[in-house]
Amino acid sequence: MKKLIRTVLFITLAAFIATSALASEGGNPRKGKHLYKKNCKTCHASGGEGGLVTPMTKTQAQWDRIFKKKKHNEDGWKNLSDKDLKDIQQFLFDHAADSPQPQTCG
Amino acid sequence: MQKIFYLIMATLLALPMTAFAMNQEDAMMSELQKQIQELSGELEELSDRLDDAERHSTLDRIELTGDLRVKADSLHYNKVTVVEPPITTPVALPGGQMDGWNLNPDGTFKRHTSTLNNDVLYTTRLRLNMKARIWDNVKFNGRLLMYKNWGDSSGTKVFDSWDSFTMDGTSSGNTTDDTLHVERAFFDWSNINGSNFYLSIGRRPSTYGPPTQYRENELRGGTPSGHLVNFNFDGITAGYKLGELTGWEGQTVRFCYGQGFESEYGNGELWGEISAKDTHLGGFNIDVLNDGTNFIQLTAFRAQDISDGFKGTMAIPSSFLPPDLGSALLPGFNLESRYFGTTTIGNLNLAGIGYAREEDNGLVWFGSFGWTQTDPNGESGMFGGMLSDAKLDPVLGDTTGDGNVDSIVGMIPSGSSMEDKTRDGYSVYIGLQTPAPFGKFGLEYNYGSKYWMPFTQAQDDVVGSKLATRGHVGEAYYVIDINPRMFLKVGAIYYDYEYTGSGSPVGKPKKVKDVQDGKAYSMLPAIDEIWDFNASLTMRF
Repeated sequence: MKKLIRTVLFITLAAFIATSALASEGGNPRKGKHLYKKNCKTCHASGGEGGLVTPMTKTQAQWDRIFKKKKHNEDGWKNLSDKDLKDIQQFLFDHAADSPQPQTCG
Repeated sequence: MQKIFYLIMATLLALPMTAFAMNQEDAMMSELQKQIQELSGELEELSDRLDDAERHSTLDRIELTGDLRVKADSLHYNKVTVVEPPITTPVALPGGQMDGWNLNPDGTFKRHTSTLNNDVLYTTRLRLNMKARIWDNVKFNGRLLMYKNWGDSSGTKVFDSWDSFTMDGTSSGNTTDDTLHVERAFFDWSNINGSNFYLSIGRRPSTYGPPTQYRENELRGGTPSGHLVNFNFDGITAGYKLGELTGWEGQTVRFCYGQGFESEYGNGELWGEISAKDTHLGGFNIDVLNDGTNFIQLTAFRAQDISDGFKGTMAIPSSFLPPDLGSALLPGFNLESRYFGTTTIGNLNLAGIGYAREEDNGLVWFGSFGWTQTDPNGESGMFGGMLSDAKLDPVLGDTTGDGNVDSIVGMIPSGSSMEDKTRDGYSVYIGLQTPAPFGKFGLEYNYGSKYWMPFTQAQDDVVGSKLATRGHVGEAYYVIDINPRMFLKVGAIYYDYEYTGSGSPVGKPKKVKDVQDGKAYSMLPAIDEIWDFNASLTMRF
């Protein structure tokens, strides 16, 4: 039991140190979802001006490239702050085609 | 003349300019042609590479993802009471009655209580998810799962609790061997004929359902409520995406049907000795709302004609064998046996309502209430009837050699149970998970009443499904997200059993205290409390 506790404490400490080095700030995916529904869905719905786009339309790397290179017409993003865009990016990234998905039938 | 001279002079002057311009144009054309040729070459090369990629993706029909979890548990069993089994020599009770029970002079059952420690138990769980596109609106989903404890690939355990059976329904949550079992394999045929209906048949995604996914640090892992159903079964779901009509995001109504026990195939039916019926399960599973913040789920289903045991294998404890056979076995050897339910003991109704909320700041909290109702038919098998004990009849023989068959040489089930009352059981399950430095912190509590009888036996806690407990369970855990695909979890679970037989529909639940005091008989060891300290590392790929 003592050996297990020592091992767990060591692994926990190592993980804390490791995550301190690797931790990075991300956007808020829940806020991103609200912003996406309010600002993006009008154009990116079926039959819409921007064509149907859902988070599953692209992979995580593809979403990151779009936001890094700002590959979007300026009009569509003009009312969104950098923080808003970060949140939307996080939402799309978290629900991209290659992200973990809820597992249910249907 | 002068005009002609000027014309000639102009022409002579222009000729070099024209020639120069024509040379420039030629050069440009030549450059453009060269660039076009280069671009054509690159396009051709890209097309060839795209052909290869397209061929690769067309022939690679199954998308594989998965996760690997390694876990260490330290288990402390407090007050484990083992009651001596019935004996074969007669015992005289006050009043002159003869009985086969193993009793102390004061009439209490002979038993012993001890504390057990398993300092460290390591397990590994490997899950491989499979997805494939069959057609535009038809897809395949499946999962292969291996769950074993280190150094053991025997596939069976010595029977000391209902969790020690190796059987179909718990193949994903019970450590067995290094075999990859098919934990789920089903197709989804969606938007049938352009409608909101879908059909899904196969081995169901019926484990890790809500709200149990939070303690697993993953997204919803199954369809039905994990508080009521965490059990592998084969069946059919017909669903309708009602949210498309009502506007309630994620609203889906599902009718699910399955078969939990096949009585007549593989049980020696040609010998004509089968009396148990097939066990059929059916009911409704409704996601009322699922909008990413609020989740509301209703469940109601029935298990019809439950038998006194599912088909499974186990190693028989020596104490269960007749003395002459038990003593003939060498130490360390157990008879491995296949068991199947021989008697239909009744029906079971289950229902529940669950709610979970995920706040914008990452805080999650949930609550679930479950109700079960057992409806026995008064019959019993070897291990008992539905939440009731088997009525035992003494077996008489001649132990003294005087020619009189008047000594009790054993006790056998009569085929009837001691009682056939309908019993209601209930359970509450609450929890919260909050963002914490480097990850998340979670607290959970659940309580199950005396007759609480869910189908959660495949929950992979090593001492048994915490949500099936007839008593109190508290859990605390800390998740450290090392990176988006890897996390460390340390935690502790405290089980406080009030009644015996958690997770089993067979046999009367006894107060653990009564078993400890020798006032009640329990065929299997009765545990009072368990502490489970655990640490695990999970990685997704």
